Amino acid sequence: MTPAPVVEVTDLVVAYGAATALDRVTLSVAEGEMVALLGPNGAGKSTLANALAGLLRPASGTVTVRGRLALIPEGRQLFPDLSVADNLALGGWRSGVRDPSAVYDVLPRLAELADRRAGVLSGGEQQMVAFGRALMSRPDVLVVDELSLGLAPNVTAGLARHLAELNRARGLAVLLIEQNARLAFELCRRAYVLESGRLVTEGESAALAGDPRVAGAYLGGAIT
Amino acid sequence: MMLGRVAVPLAAAVTLALPAVLDDSALAVYVLLGLAAMVTVGVSLLMGYAGQVSLGQGAFYGVGAYTAALLALNGLPPLLGLLAAPVAAAAFALVVGLPLLRLRGHHLAFATLAMQLILLSLAGQLDFTGGDIGLQAIPPFSAWSFEAGGVTAYAYLTWAGLALVMLVTRNVIASRPGRALRALATSETAAASSGIPVGRYKLAVLALSAAFAGLAGGIYCFYTGYVAPGSFPVLISIQYIVMAVVGGLGTIWGAVVGAAAITLLVQGLDRLANLPGMPSYAPGVLSYAVYALVLIAVVLFLPNGLVPAIRRLLSRERPAKTR
Amino acid sequence: MSAFLTYLLNGLAVGCAIALIASGLVVIHRVTGVVNFAQGTFAVVAGLCASSLLGLGLPHGASELAAVLAAAVAGLLTGLAAVGRPGTTPLSSLIVTLGVGVLAYAVEIVLWGDQPRSAPGLAGSVTVAGARIQTQHLLVIAVTAVAFAALALFFGRTYLGKALTACASNPYAARVVGIDVRRMGLLAFALGGLLGGLAGVLVTPMRPISFDSDVTLIVNGFAAAVFGALTRPVITLAGALLLGVAETMAAGYGYGSHQLEIALGLMLVVMIVQAGRRPAISQEPT
Ligand SMILES: Nc1ncnc2c1ncn2[C@@H]1O[C@H](COP(=O)(O)OP(=O)(O)OP(=O)(O)O)[C@@H](O)[C@H]1O
Ligand SMILES: [Mg+2]
Repeated sequence: MTPAPVVEVTDLVVAYGAATALDRVTLSVAEGEMVALLGPNGAGKSTLANALAGLLRPASGTVTVRGRLALIPEGRQLFPDLSVADNLALGGWRSGVRDPSAVYDVLPRLAELADRRAGVLSGGEQQMVAFGRALMSRPDVLVVDELSLGLAPNVTAGLARHLAELNRARGLAVLLIEQNARLAFELCRRAYVLESGRLVTEGESAALAGDPRVAGAYLGGAIT
Repeated sequence: MMLGRVAVPLAAAVTLALPAVLDDSALAVYVLLGLAAMVTVGVSLLMGYAGQVSLGQGAFYGVGAYTAALLALNGLPPLLGLLAAPVAAAAFALVVGLPLLRLRGHHLAFATLAMQLILLSLAGQLDFTGGDIGLQAIPPFSAWSFEAGGVTAYAYLTWAGLALVMLVTRNVIASRPGRALRALATSETAAASSGIPVGRYKLAVLALSAAFAGLAGGIYCFYTGYVAPGSFPVLISIQYIVMAVVGGLGTIWGAVVGAAAITLLVQGLDRLANLPGMPSYAPGVLSYAVYALVLIAVVLFLPNGLVPAIRRLLSRERPAKTR
Repeated sequence: MSAFLTYLLNGLAVGCAIALIASGLVVIHRVTGVVNFAQGTFAVVAGLCASSLLGLGLPHGASELAAVLAAAVAGLLTGLAAVGRPGTTPLSSLIVTLGVGVLAYAVEIVLWGDQPRSAPGLAGSVTVAGARIQTQHLLVIAVTAVAFAALALFFGRTYLGKALTACASNPYAARVVGIDVRRMGLLAFALGGLLGGLAGVLVTPMRPISFDSDVTLIVNGFAAAVFGALTRPVITLAGALLLGVAETMAAGYGYGSHQLEIALGLMLVVMIVQAGRRPAISQEPT
């Protein structure tokens, strides 16, 4: 029995002018599943994330999302001039949820930061605000573009714990885009590898971690 | 390329032959068109190459006109006045450009507009510029034994002026600094970091465009015989932008085509508006509407302008023969 | 002394009208990054509308309200032209608003002719500490105060206001959370039209307005907005009051013919000083 997919991408092509950033990409995320997407810089991971969020128009192919999708964009992308509370409230634009208290229950640290301007927070705190802002839309699936980017390992581990907990308790599906393959394999049962706009490998995390090519490129087994 | 080698001499020959066959009212349009084209070539250079919007090009036109008029009225030979007009306009551009060109985008647009408004207001109040009435009874243009008697003479003078302006612009664009300027229009930061003296180049382009406007202003003052602040309204500066944008920024022929298209369109509508039975406000209303609608439509739907669009059409029709 | 006080109060009233124009510029620029050249046009449209409606016998209040709404619609239409098409750069948008301003000339001349028109305002005057001030001037000051307070509340306290600020603060992030940035831009233009319209109905009783009054209005408004770097309403208000008082004092003490030069000169100095303070690199995308 395979649960119905919440995200289904078929033969997706996205181009920036003449340059093709995604070339016939097909992937899916099932209900309540955590899936990783790996790939080197410039592979097209963020492009895929933006296409999933409906921010980029596909040149061809389809993106189907069942339920609500929320994006934690690369580089947090907060509203720096607004307070943390306002950032969270605006996260509820789609869902109509204005009151962040449910998010404060999950991420209590945010309640302490509520009145601070988002622009002055540390990187870890900003990522937590971006996380909370995404949760405000009551998503069925969360796309996280580079959870660990620029964060200390213990901060990343904390955020990863929250992610796993939300997945377990609420059945939140997650597409995790990561440079840190170890973290991705640990959190996700399944993974895709994207290179130069094309999917090159996919499979169970355990199997991929054992694949010498993947291990060499993403687990620091060899210098390429 | 091949098209250009035939079309340019052809256009030059036809326009040079035209004054001999046109009647006086058509010649008046010919002169106005040529003068507008001279200013527009400068505006197009400034916007397309230096990436700067000037809403005050009419001020340089005015400086040229007043300079030539004042010199001629004080007994100096008109030729000297005509030569001084572009020099004075360029010098004025250098002086105001030094502080103003530290501004960019909409700031520069408003600053140049402010410059023109200040200049107009001063010209309307000072005694030596004749106040609101302006300067009258400017002698006709003359050089050596030649005296410009009728419109035809001014048509030839305008033709020569425009040819000079286009030739200078062509050489500037083809020169090494000209190619560096191209980079400037795309990204000032990138241009600066690759060692191009951005500030000096921008100032030079502003001065050059002012010189073109000044030259046109000089011819204009001899042609009409009077100048007043009312001859250089803010709308005239907007009109040059419309012409430059319509033709296509940064192309010499675009400026000329834009000036021609708008001038002829407005003149044609003017005829229509002056037909019996039309309300008295019709000429003004129609020309405002044309400027506005053409400007908006071109910016939104044909952002590269007419000439590049036509070029693209032509090259699409015969893709094989590019050489 | 009482002459000075009279000039000061009159100057504040003039400054308030400038402030309303400028606040519209700031609202639009903050949300869309576009400097709206047609901002003065909104005031002209509202002023002319009000004078017509009052002339038709509609009561005060209703006439002004309808005129301000007409200006808001004009703002919305301007926005549609300027930012309605995806991919229009701010500088292209500026040129489009320039076109809208000229187009408005054509429409206004057809509807109202090319002669200046006035409208009756609040009659009478009051004496404050020996200085006579017209009631209309007091009304202008009061309405401006209310308008700025309402703007502050709207942007600082309401959800919609915060969404508008979010578009200004990070348009990409605004799209990420699902805000339609283009729609918000149109809303900003409508709000700008409303503010410009408010200025128009307040100014018309003080000095007659004609189709080409927009140039003076926009230049003064832009000068004031420049004080606040086109983004900060409170400094813009201060700049507008300064301009209004400086111009009125100049006129009062016999330099009336140099009013415009004073405003423009001040604007140029402020812009050039500000440009000198900013590093050149950071201003690229204007
Ligand atoms: N807005 C854009 N315009 C043009 N090209 C773009 C744009 N955004 C991305 N690209 C190009 O598309 C390709 C994919 O970029 P993308 O940001 O999706 O990669 P990525 O996998 O997220 O890389 P990274 O790991 O560095 O975040 C790159 O070659 C990039 O240069
Ligand atoms: Mg990326």
